[in-house]
Amino acid sequence: MSRIVSVWLPHLAIERLNRERAAGHGATDTAVPDDRPFALVGSETRGLVLAAVNAISTRDGLLPGMGLADARAICPQLLTEPATPEHDAEALLALTRWASRYSPTLNTDGDDGLWLDITGVAHLFGGEAALLDDLAHRLERAGFTARLGLAETLGGAHAFARFANSSPSIVPDGKIADALASFPVEALRLESDVSGLLRKLGLKRISQLCDLPRASLEQRFHSKEVAQAVLLRLDQALGCRAEKRTSLLPLPDFVARLPFAEPLITHDGILAGLDHLAITLCRTLTNAGRGARRVVLWAARADGSTATIEAGLSAPSRAPFHLVRLLKDKIEDIDMGFGVDLMTLAALATEPLLPSQTSLSDAAEDARPETLIDTIANRLGAGAVRRLFPRASHVPERAQSLRNAFAGLPAWTDDAPPKPPRPPLLLTRPEPLSVLAEIPEGPPARFTWRRVSRRVVKAEGPERIAPEWWRALLSNERPRDYYRIEDEDGCRYWVFREGLYQEGADGPPCWFLHGVFP
Amino acid sequence: MTPRYAELDVTTNFTFLRGGSHPEELVATAKALGHEAIAVADANTLAGVVRAHLAAKELGIKFITGARLLLQDAPSLLAYPRDRAAYGRLSRLLTLGQRRAEKGACALSLDDVAAHVEGLIFIALPTEADFEAQLLRIKETLPAPLYLAARHSYRGDDRARIAALSDLAMRAKVPLVATGGVLYHASQRRPLQDVLTCIREKCTIAEAGFRLEANAERHLKSPAEMARLFRGYEDALARTIEIADACAFSLDELKYEYPDEPVPEGKTPQSHLEDLTWEGATWRFPDGISDTVRDIIQKELALIAELNYAPYFLTVYDIVHYARSLGILCQGRGSAANSVVCYCLAITNVNPTEIDLLFERFVSPERKEPPDIDVDFEHERREEVIQYIYARYGRDRAGLAATVISYRGRSAVREVGKALGLSEDTVAALATTIWGLSNASLPEKYVREAGLDPSDPLLARCLELAHELIGFPRHLSQHVGGFVLTRGPLSEVVPIGNAAMEDRTVIEWDKDDLDALGLLKVDVLGLGMLTCIRKAFALLKEHYGKDLTLGTVPRDDARVYDMLCKADSIGVFQVESRAQMNMLPRLRPRCFYDLVIEVAIVRPGPIQGDMVHPYLRRRAGIEPVEFPSPHPDHGPADELHQVLGKTMGVPLFQEQAMRLAMVAAKFSGPEANELRRAMATFRRRGTIGALQDKMVGRMTARGYPPDFAERCFNQIKGFGEYGFPESHAASFAHLVYVSSWLKCHYPDVFACALLNAQPMGFYAPAQIVRCARDHGVEAREADVNHSHWAAPSSLHSRMRTCSGHPIRRHVKVRSPDDPGTSPG
Repeated sequence: MSRIVSVWLPHLAIERLNRERAAGHGATDTAVPDDRPFALVGSETRGLVLAAVNAISTRDGLLPGMGLADARAICPQLLTEPATPEHDAEALLALTRWASRYSPTLNTDGDDGLWLDITGVAHLFGGEAALLDDLAHRLERAGFTARLGLAETLGGAHAFARFANSSPSIVPDGKIADALASFPVEALRLESDVSGLLRKLGLKRISQLCDLPRASLEQRFHSKEVAQAVLLRLDQALGCRAEKRTSLLPLPDFVARLPFAEPLITHDGILAGLDHLAITLCRTLTNAGRGARRVVLWAARADGSTATIEAGLSAPSRAPFHLVRLLKDKIEDIDMGFGVDLMTLAALATEPLLPSQTSLSDAAEDARPETLIDTIANRLGAGAVRRLFPRASHVPERAQSLRNAFAGLPAWTDDAPPKPPRPPLLLTRPEPLSVLAEIPEGPPARFTWRRVSRRVVKAEGPERIAPEWWRALLSNERPRDYYRIEDEDGCRYWVFREGLYQEGADGPPCWFLHGVFP
Repeated sequence: MTPRYAELDVTTNFTFLRGGSHPEELVATAKALGHEAIAVADANTLAGVVRAHLAAKELGIKFITGARLLLQDAPSLLAYPRDRAAYGRLSRLLTLGQRRAEKGACALSLDDVAAHVEGLIFIALPTEADFEAQLLRIKETLPAPLYLAARHSYRGDDRARIAALSDLAMRAKVPLVATGGVLYHASQRRPLQDVLTCIREKCTIAEAGFRLEANAERHLKSPAEMARLFRGYEDALARTIEIADACAFSLDELKYEYPDEPVPEGKTPQSHLEDLTWEGATWRFPDGISDTVRDIIQKELALIAELNYAPYFLTVYDIVHYARSLGILCQGRGSAANSVVCYCLAITNVNPTEIDLLFERFVSPERKEPPDIDVDFEHERREEVIQYIYARYGRDRAGLAATVISYRGRSAVREVGKALGLSEDTVAALATTIWGLSNASLPEKYVREAGLDPSDPLLARCLELAHELIGFPRHLSQHVGGFVLTRGPLSEVVPIGNAAMEDRTVIEWDKDDLDALGLLKVDVLGLGMLTCIRKAFALLKEHYGKDLTLGTVPRDDARVYDMLCKADSIGVFQVESRAQMNMLPRLRPRCFYDLVIEVAIVRPGPIQGDMVHPYLRRRAGIEPVEFPSPHPDHGPADELHQVLGKTMGVPLFQEQAMRLAMVAAKFSGPEANELRRAMATFRRRGTIGALQDKMVGRMTARGYPPDFAERCFNQIKGFGEYGFPESHAASFAHLVYVSSWLKCHYPDVFACALLNAQPMGFYAPAQIVRCARDHGVEAREADVNHSHWAAPSSLHSRMRTCSGHPIRRHVKVRSPDDPGTSPG
């Protein structure tokens, strides 16, 4: 049986603020008052609503969830500050990480609590009671009011943390059903409208729910979903149905180890070991459906010291040769000392990677741009490699942008409206042309580019692209008419006329060459 | 030879968040460019066609009604009815699609179109992929003239594309027609159209990417330009004229026919109305009908007969009669309501002969508009009346009018700011600057006050675009209670859609559209005060044995006026607001007509037009009552006295402003009508400048002092949307008097009825209770033995104070001299 601790922090938002203010963050802010009504206010669809209140406000009848206007009417001297749920969430996360001192399996629970799976670790702290005492004591010293519940299920512990008369409360193994019986149905982690419905039906205590014949529940609630939700939560609390708990801390690392009876003394030996390790690690990764984003090789020397080499990947990968290539270059840097007797290759960061069709030769894998990017980046540093990403813009030179190559994979799916082909290469700066063309919108009949005059034999256009007016607020860009043209020699060009022949146009139109078709 | 062209593919801003121009703008531009005709085809709706039709009529360009049918299983089609019957089918088709879908949506398939195909002309709009098969399917399914649209989109491959379409047209034997795919009237509207796209897609302009158009070419183009773009396809151009000529239908053909229900068999509407009127007259004037009254009734009946309005009066009478039979209080108002006929039919309770309201002033033979009677019902029981109307006329013949909800200053700035990617706080700051200036421009001063720099280009752009967006329709909502009733199926007149409210159906046109087409509308409105008065009458009967109705409350009671002069008016209808309470001691009402003025004067119209102080000064005798007169050559010196005599030379009522223009500036009937329309919409369209010159110029020419003329015009301008016609004011004044009478003589009954009718009015229950206490009424805690839910002489008012924490306060109100209670 599991043993789960549920921690409830009923005043997290205010205590968190207090703690930060006391620690001197945001020195200009005044401390949270404890002698007058104070509330944090969040905005919801129905207007400003109290998100959290301090103790003295509760005494005056203010409750979280109340409208600010109502609260002000009840208690005019109420002080308020805007609630910052994102900071509260950060604080809760930090607190959860800290709690990993008790157990590696833990996570946040809602926005005001956390849980720890202490199965099999309580004895390290002198028993369950001692562990809870220690936890409560430390939280209190940190300035947090906490209520703790310990039970064999998360649902049970959750209910005990929030609804038991005393804290910490421990439910011995196997006693969860009896212990929960007298609790209100709200303790079951149901949506408030569901528990409200239960109350309306006169089902106020969990024992009443347990006593009902299960089959009739569905009819009673007129809704399959509600009945299912109630039963699920009830079963989870009682331990009749397993509940999936995802731990905050990552899964065990992907590690491959290779010990040597005789220490290696050459880099070649390391290289051979690396090949072997990479294959093992990649097999593990394949089985887990993940790819490495960051790998590290530890070479433990006979004298007890360790050499470390690391490499990052721009996209998840589990190709052994790819990992090897990234690390190979750096193997030379390893000081072999008295020889290496243990090599460990680990994937420090991984990401899901679906299996892909393998090719018959490794060449295809080798040709992926990611392989090249990783190789360059591991030599020059990740910040040095940039890559073209698509940008949804009609203006040709803005249709792509350079971004860090590690920012993800560019999605070159074409959601652009259909348009005639574009040249694969654009000139960085369009080059001016002198053109003979029919007014107003005829394609060039002759044009001179780089002092060579060419006669146009085929032309298509115009494709009119207007400037992005919201960017052109300061400049005076003009609309362009693009033409695809072909000269007598069969060379094809992409030219445009900037400006239109019409009244009110500023200045005569100008012609430019923007790209060349192969 | 100048090419001939008619634009057929036009999207107005009634295709919400897609079209970038008002129908009026598009029509005016088409006229200016020299189009032969213009069609409007909005997505699955006919909501914008009336406006376009009116604009086209005014400018003298042929207008073609149409709709863009977005189908679920086929490419979109443009549909144009050729005659009245085909229009009916198109309207029915749209009704079918809209009734099937959620509010604002429309679900149609090609088969649905096929069922309504007769008399319609279609243009198929090409899609990118697999169009040929689709086109053949459409051709096969629809036995009607079908064309294929070709648009020059400046996409680069236009000539090739049009050539391919032309080939396809030959192969499929579907003639090619040139269209513009118009989204806005001029290329300058592209930024606004882009912003609309962003609002629609809920993104910022920087994120919008390919959802925006690449260029500004979707504007109306001149026939010469179109001819240049379609060189070599002259027949495609000529077909636009062919289609335009084939579509002979005009919205003017929508002849309105009154429902027959209210007329018993064997009688004409007129004879039935006359019988009812004379019957009512003997009841209204129990002491005998005086000769003057008889004259007026005869004159009115003659006028009604001349204009054939009898069925309208009978329809209203029928509804009112039904409400009466259920004991629902109601009272009519509106121009036609001021007739003795309405008084006799018990539609109104104000005796027009007493306050000298002249009927023909409001229903005139020149104004070919339907008469207007609004009927207020108790707000708690209005739904019963509405359901009665649905039951009596059927859902296919009765529908609620729509209200076009437009962007106003604040919402426009908010949306444009969001689309331009301004930060939320900037948008909020900008939006607050236009508090209270609903439709006015956004003056720099206010922007600066909000801590923003109006010269910042992005901000300036935002304000500029927001200004353009103001007045754009955003969605259709249901009118508060304007019912349209027809003899034949309503869905053949105008498409009917679902309202957001369950069991309500709404037509696509608003009241202006209906007015313009001469369709009958009966306003069934809810009024909280009527609920309160009905409850008060019931309490009076139970506790004091007094049986009163709206018509039998004792009149001209000095004590009531004394009370009002002291501004003791908490809870009283209309005059309970602070502005009114401020005005009461200054105006010192002493008779019923004073109340009429009191109601009318504290309105934005008279206040903005600066008419309040002159009136008060003249009334107090500080300022002489004078009427500027025209030059003796031009007319009688007392011509203004006839118009403004009752209100001491100051125009206070809406129709006085109109009369002023007609008498002093010699505006003709249609001109005055134009002025009235311009006043209602000048904030949107800014057409009032020309009228100002016209009116001031003519008045000066007739010998009026220029400053007086200028002042008159400004006064008129204020009336635009916020003035009361005298008849409305009179009906309201009657409720003011009745509620004041109740408050004055039976404060306990009044307070109790008021509380039971909550929520309504200006004041919170606590204030009402305090006021009742001040008048010697005892308010007690709830008593489980004596209090009832909204029952006589006790009241429970639920006060929601904190969300989720209702506090119930039970108060018992009895006057100290109530014989039924012993003190204690």
